[in-house]
Amino acid sequence: MLSESKAKTRAISIADFLRSAPAELDLELVAGGEGQEKHELRSERIQKLGLALAGYSEYLHYGRLQMIGTSETAFLQRFSPEKRADAVASLPIANIACILITKGLKPMSEVRAFAERNAIPLLRSDAVSSRAIALITSFLQERLAPETTIHGVLVEMHGFGVLIRGESGIGKSECALDLVARGHRLISDDSVRIKNIGGKLVGSSSEITAGFLEIRGLGIINVRELFGVASVRTSKSLSVCIEFRRSDDQIESDRLGLEMESEEICGGRLPKFSLPVRPGRNLASLVETAVKVYMLRCEGSDAAKEVLERHARAIAIDSSKA
Amino acid sequence: MVETSVKVVNNLGLHARAAAQLVRLAGTFESTIKIIRPDKGVFADAKSILNLLTLAASNGTELHVQAEGPDENEALAAVGQLFTKGFGEF
Repeated sequence: MLSESKAKTRAISIADFLRSAPAELDLELVAGGEGQEKHELRSERIQKLGLALAGYSEYLHYGRLQMIGTSETAFLQRFSPEKRADAVASLPIANIACILITKGLKPMSEVRAFAERNAIPLLRSDAVSSRAIALITSFLQERLAPETTIHGVLVEMHGFGVLIRGESGIGKSECALDLVARGHRLISDDSVRIKNIGGKLVGSSSEITAGFLEIRGLGIINVRELFGVASVRTSKSLSVCIEFRRSDDQIESDRLGLEMESEEICGGRLPKFSLPVRPGRNLASLVETAVKVYMLRCEGSDAAKEVLERHARAIAIDSSKA
Repeated sequence: MVETSVKVVNNLGLHARAAAQLVRLAGTFESTIKIIRPDKGVFADAKSILNLLTLAASNGTELHVQAEGPDENEALAAVGQLFTKGFGEF
C-alpha cells in the first residue's frame, strides 16, 4: 500500500570525488587522470596498500580508496628502484580504483608510472593519514548511503524526527500544519528523502519543495514565510514513525499499548504507532501525545504496564478473599 | 434486554489481554453490553477496557452479562462463549 522506492547502494566516480570531497583534504590529481571517470568508489572503507606492496594482496577490494602513507613510502624506499618497480607492478590492477598519497608526500616515480600506465587515478592530500581516513570515511558514508524516497511528512518535535505516513488524502499535511502552528518544525511534506548513514536514518526534503506544504483548498503555502525561520529545518534523523490508518481498516488496534510496532525503512528500523483516523479526532494532539509516550518509553516508563501491575495486585487480593 | 451468568474460568482472571479481547468482541455488536459483578455491586461497560479492569475479577468470580439492543441475543451468546472458553487460553 505504501510505496517505497527500493534502496540502492551508490557509487561515486573519482572525478566526482575530486570535485566534492571535503576542502580540508586539498586533493590534487597527480597521475592517471585518464581513468578518473571510469573508476569509482563504492565503499566508505579505506585500505592501506602496505601489505599488498609486500606481496599479500588477497584482501584488496575494488571500489575502496587505497592509501599510501608514511609507512608504505618508507617501506618502498628500502628497495632498489628495480625491486620497487616490481613491488608496485605486482599490485592487482583490477582491484584498484584509486590511490591516495597522504601527508603531502612526494609520489615515487615507480608509483606515478604505475598509475599513468594503468590509468588508475593517483591523488595526493596534505592531510595526515588518520585525518584523511576520518574525513573521507564520513564523506563517503554520507555520499554512498543507501537512499530512498518515501511518501510521508517529516516533522521535528521536541528534538525527535517524526515521520508521518498514511495514504494520500488522510490528513498528513493538515496535521503537519497544525504541528507547525504549535511550534514544531517542518522538514518535508509529501516526499521524504531518507538516507541510511551508518545505520542511522536521516530524512530530508527535496530542494524544490523544502519549506512548503500543500493544503487542500489553500494550495501551496510557504511555511517559513508564514511561521518564521524556526518553523522549518532541512534535515533530521528519524526517531519514530506514525502511521495514519482509515478507521474502517480491518486491522485491530492495540487497545492497551503494550506492544510497540516497528517498520523497516531503507534498511533501518523505526518504532511505529498506528493511529486510526476518524472525523473529529484531533490528529495533531494525538501525534504530540504519541511522541511524548515514546519519550517516556525510552526512559523506561510505560503506562500500560503500570495499570497492568495495579490490576494484577487487585486480582491477587480478590482471589485471596475467595 | 437479556442477561446470563458466567464464571471467570481462566487462571489469571479477567486480565488485561482477556479484557482487550472482550472489548474487541463487544465492539462488533451494536448492543450495549454490561458486565456486572454482583458480589461487589459494581459493573463495567464491555466496550471499555479501563472499565473492565476495575472489576478486578479473579479466577472463579461469578459475573452477569447483560446486553441490550438490536443484536442483544447474538451479543450475549458470543460474550458468554468467550468466558466459557476461558478467552481461548485452554
